[in-house]
Amino acid sequence: MNIVVEFCLVSCKVFWTLVLAGTRWLMRPKEKNVMGQICVITGAGSGLGRDLAKEFARRGATVVLWDINRETNEETAEIVRKIYSELTGSVSGEAGDLPTIQAQAYTYLCDVSKREEVYLTADKVQCEVGNIDILINSAGVVSGHHLLECPDELLERTMMVNCHAHFWTTKAFLPKMLQLNHGHIVTVASSLGLLRTAGVEDYCASKFGAIGFHESLSHELKAIEKDGIKMTLVCAFLVDGHIFNGCKIRKKTSPFFHQLKPEQCVQQVVRAILTDQSMICTPRSMYMASFMKTVLPFEAIVCMYQFLGADKCMYHSKAHQINANNNETELTSVQQARIQQVSLEKKGC
Amino acid sequence: VMDLNNLGHALLFPFNIIFCILKSCLGLFIPSRRKDLRGEVVLITGGGRGIGRHLGKEFAKNGAKKVILWGRTERCLKETCEEISLTTGAECHYFLCDVANREEVYKQAKVVREKVGDVTILVNNAAVVHGKSLMDSDDDALMKTQYINTLGQFWTTKAFLPRMLELCHGHVVCINSILSLSSIPGAIDYCTSKASSLAFMESLTLGLLDCPGVGCTTVLPFHTNTDMFQGMRVRFPQLFPPLNPELVAQRTVDAVRTNTPFIYLPWTMRALVILKSFLPQAALEEIHRFAGCYTCMDTFKGRT
Repeated sequence: MNIVVEFCLVSCKVFWTLVLAGTRWLMRPKEKNVMGQICVITGAGSGLGRDLAKEFARRGATVVLWDINRETNEETAEIVRKIYSELTGSVSGEAGDLPTIQAQAYTYLCDVSKREEVYLTADKVQCEVGNIDILINSAGVVSGHHLLECPDELLERTMMVNCHAHFWTTKAFLPKMLQLNHGHIVTVASSLGLLRTAGVEDYCASKFGAIGFHESLSHELKAIEKDGIKMTLVCAFLVDGHIFNGCKIRKKTSPFFHQLKPEQCVQQVVRAILTDQSMICTPRSMYMASFMKTVLPFEAIVCMYQFLGADKCMYHSKAHQINANNNETELTSVQQARIQQVSLEKKGC
Repeated sequence: VMDLNNLGHALLFPFNIIFCILKSCLGLFIPSRRKDLRGEVVLITGGGRGIGRHLGKEFAKNGAKKVILWGRTERCLKETCEEISLTTGAECHYFLCDVANREEVYKQAKVVREKVGDVTILVNNAAVVHGKSLMDSDDDALMKTQYINTLGQFWTTKAFLPRMLELCHGHVVCINSILSLSSIPGAIDYCTSKASSLAFMESLTLGLLDCPGVGCTTVLPFHTNTDMFQGMRVRFPQLFPPLNPELVAQRTVDAVRTNTPFIYLPWTMRALVILKSFLPQAALEEIHRFAGCYTCMDTFKGRT
């Protein structure tokens, strides 16, 4: 009898969450105020990390920038400091009794794939800056090779930066958040974490691993009823000008997915974080695609991927390459050139 | 012309989808062709116990010529090997190999190639679980799970796939878990590693579509009754009883014979995955709590 009552209760609760989600979609909830809050962003030297740093700076938050590349990290810091001075300028231009912006930009050199470095840097942040409010795991790399051509070290590195780093950064900052029952953890995965494509097995594996970690952690926090700690998952689809610069997938789908400008993508992402939304996919059509993926039979999913141009494959040519046993050096040198190009384009962690 | 081409694709797309759906529905009624496993050389990682042990037996029963077991505990491997050799007609070999160790994998792969022959079916089954919440987990244990469950599969695939491609004949099987798609608290290392492994297999499956001789199968079972998750208690065992490892093995071999790329065990898990893709997070949390997922790892003991 108890079970039946509980089942009814759960059904009501589920229905209520659907109602709430609907209301949320209709009436845009207010963004929370992050002025004065401390925000750690990994991989802040480039890409989405830098854009997020700019956005949080505009809202008066103190940004703590982590990156493996000192130059690009300092560049981001400069941009952020300019934003702060503009903000202070505009505030002091109005009423004199408004508080001046206390926010600052801090930079730390850190390779998030190295556990000890993460813990040391996190301790430094705790001492020099204070308790952090928002952790954004945005660092990401891609090897750009197919599995069989990829050097093992690069495979490992992709996994360690994109997935395992989340373990260390979260373990470093979560205890304090648990103590205060206040915080926000943002995981930047990519749509390749939700949809797959051939030829980037390591990136897909690492991003979906990060998603698995994120979901697992959300459930853990819910199980111990720490409602003050929010979590947001960001799945951005091949944003123009970022890590997949020049990627073929993007070109084929461009007629159908309006090119998402980085600014639009970042605006959506920041809105989602500031309204405590649990997941954000950009563009929104990704929601549909990932839902279709669960209901459609595999062949239909392949159709969908082929339509999106997301199923590029080199294995057939690889098999021919080995059998033919000529043209091999030619292909290798072309591949090497591509490898160099990709490794020049991907910067930072 | 490019625009017309794209437009053409766009118009055909919904028909393509409907056609695939109809074909798949038809497949439910008409029994599919099953390929013959005679002459196949099967390699199973983690083949000494649990699901791996049953997989070895099942492949042998279905006609595999040679079965190679990889594992870390010699005693289990030896026992399973003897059992397979005695009860079936297959030739059984075992080698000690820790799949987390990249060099060992490549070395042992070479040994297998020389002593036994080319592997035509690779079954990535080896897995461990630490079974604690994130803050209670030991860092090294977290990484060990990642190395065995995820990276180990990269290495074994890299070791055996090239030859399969050359022969244009082969199959890569991954024993994954429903936890890769629907996580629970208390097994964060396992859920993360299985999620990575699933995405890896999905990417690989897509990549191998153009090479019809080489297939992929990923099996996502619900809680299976083996030592690995000993102590884990599901709330409604009558509704969702733990799976029998023998059944998991049978269904896996069947999926390999019918070239099924993804299979949920039991099929009702698919409903869970569908629900998950459109329900808001808060709703999922309520359902998980009701289903006892939040407390099922409290009694976890693991392999003793």
